[in-house]
Amino acid sequence: MTELYQSTVTDIGELVPAFIAEGMLVFFGEGAPEELRDFCIMHEVSHKQDALKVGDVVFIDNFEAEILAVGDVANENLMNLGHLNLKANGNTEADLPGDVCIAEVELPEIRVGTTFGITRR
Amino acid sequence: MADYKAVHIEKGPGGWGGPLTILPTDEKPLIYSVTGGGIHPIAARIAELTGGEAFDGFSSSAPFEKIAVAVIDCGGTARIGVYPMKKVKTVDIHATSPAGPLAMFITEELLVSGVKLDNIKPVE
Repeated sequence: MTELYQSTVTDIGELVPAFIAEGMLVFFGEGAPEELRDFCIMHEVSHKQDALKVGDVVFIDNFEAEILAVGDVANENLMNLGHLNLKANGNTEADLPGDVCIAEVELPEIRVGTTFGITRR
Repeated sequence: MADYKAVHIEKGPGGWGGPLTILPTDEKPLIYSVTGGGIHPIAARIAELTGGEAFDGFSSSAPFEKIAVAVIDCGGTARIGVYPMKKVKTVDIHATSPAGPLAMFITEELLVSGVKLDNIKPVE
């Protein structure tokens, strides 16, 4: 198993629950402009190694989900900005270029200190 | 007082919205680049043609009311709606269409997407 990406949640914006209700988690790395913070889960990256792809696994604390689709700009967003749009919609093709899709499951609770990352089995 | 000029920005291939006319003012001088890796070439071009001030939103922040236009490289969910929600005109480098929880705020008067350098033209 290879750790591709590892990070820790540092702050959660007020409007994050509205996104969770639509099955979306929007992450942004530290350094994102103030106006984005309301919508986002802010995090501090401790390790990044390689581009993610279909079949890799997203983990959020004890939650795990296999990645079903990766949009064309998702890796660029993640590597440059720590930005990830994780969508629990079961899509095997990304609707939007920034999407990373997993099965249509209930998303886990996110707290400050929650660890998340991506691994390859 | 700086001498500002207007530009006309059309959507690129597969893009959505617009066209937008951008004219910075002394009150709204900023061409606000919210993209990875510094000032995006699209933001640099708009700044060059308008006389506005290119500004990197990831290295420091500015109030919304000073932004003439926001330039984003959004994959379609978050940034695409944040600036339109605040009535800030927005240029997306990627060819996206309104989506996500903020889609209701996005209109053709506020967003143009898929923009390439060729889609930015000075207003004569």
